[in-house]
Amino acid sequence: MSETILLAVGIYCLAGIVISLLFLVFGIARADHAAKGAGLVFRLTILPGLIFLWPIILGRWLSGRQINQDIHGGDNS
Amino acid sequence: MGHQYQAIQWNRNKAHYDIAIALFALLYTGIFVVIGLQPSETGNTPDPVVLLIRAFGTCAFLLLTFILMIGPLARLSDRFKPMLYNRRHFGVFTFLLAAVHFGLALMWYHGFGPLNPFVSLFVSNQPGGTFPGFPFEVLGLAAFVIMLLMAVTSHDFWLNNLSAPVWKALHMLVYVAYGLLVIHIAAGALLTEKSMLYPALVLVAFLLVAGLHLMTGLQERGHDRLRRALEDKGWVSVSAPQDIPDKRAIIVPLRDGERVAVFRDGNKVSAVTNVCRHQNGPLGEGRVVDGCITCPWHGWQYRMEDGVSPPPFTEKIATYNLKLMNGMIFLDPVANAPGAKVDPVFFDLTEYDESGDAEAV
Repeated sequence: MSETILLAVGIYCLAGIVISLLFLVFGIARADHAAKGAGLVFRLTILPGLIFLWPIILGRWLSGRQINQDIHGGDNS
Repeated sequence: MGHQYQAIQWNRNKAHYDIAIALFALLYTGIFVVIGLQPSETGNTPDPVVLLIRAFGTCAFLLLTFILMIGPLARLSDRFKPMLYNRRHFGVFTFLLAAVHFGLALMWYHGFGPLNPFVSLFVSNQPGGTFPGFPFEVLGLAAFVIMLLMAVTSHDFWLNNLSAPVWKALHMLVYVAYGLLVIHIAAGALLTEKSMLYPALVLVAFLLVAGLHLMTGLQERGHDRLRRALEDKGWVSVSAPQDIPDKRAIIVPLRDGERVAVFRDGNKVSAVTNVCRHQNGPLGEGRVVDGCITCPWHGWQYRMEDGVSPPPFTEKIATYNLKLMNGMIFLDPVANAPGAKVDPVFFDLTEYDESGDAEAV
């Protein structure tokens, strides 16, 4: 039973890693305009949260809803 | 209007704050281990790894206790408000200490057996064993998971993407985590502890957190009652003082058609009628010059505190009473006689200057 739960957690986190990396590379700037041009360190900072909460972010990404549209991108890394 | 994300927002003050916390943690764990390594009366020397586990665990618990005290302390006294600044960095640092405690305990007590360490954690009750069947380590793990979720969502990115109510609800789970930690300690390490010092410290920490929250809750209830009483008497809520532009006013319309200009000069707020004695000019559209309200039409001036023109002039306008309560200015709609002196309402400007720097991580 314990092993099954651990396996499920492992699969969940593995899926989280894959989806998070895809989101950080292809989705984040479109989903949240405040992240446009943000550097690698910022992306690494939010990566752990993405791995744990990836279903929420995946839902946001697929829905196409955007936030912080009043912010124009730039390089703040 | 938001701002573009940065990885971690640091400035001079935040860096000093973070260094102070790190130094405290370093000193605390160092002293804890050095004292713990002294041989006991029976000649036994405790295991250094166990000492490290306890040093990081107790340090994280102490810091979390302090973090939970900051909010109510700041509500009880303005002197503690600067501590609110940078609380998010404080929380993440505390989580990192808890992570070291968790990692060491997992490996030391569960890493050398045939079972997977996580499985072992769920099926055994090391290290105490004096309270069989009670899952004190699982409670610690639950508290750790809550702290983990809080730490990884502490960046503004998460505040924006989870929405403020969801983010706040998630971070309010810190109280659940604290309760779990108190039981984790009481049913774990404290059961094997012979000295009364540690049980007493945990009890004092818990009572401080609970007592301070109870006190501020009662104080808030008192304020709410007073605010309702003021509103029942017809007092009008105006705005937060820092939202009034410096040297300017906001104009408050009253039910009887009268308009009142509420001026701010630095950290002082005063209210006068909106009508200039000269040609009924809109005083509230003027500004404060040399401490005097100055009419935008012809420059007639009135002192903020009593509505009297500075010498050699003698014109007087009506003043109004103000009260500052829970960060909000309230206005008594009954005008004072022209020239009646009213002490300005003072507010703490420094805290608003600091909070202008948005926190992240």
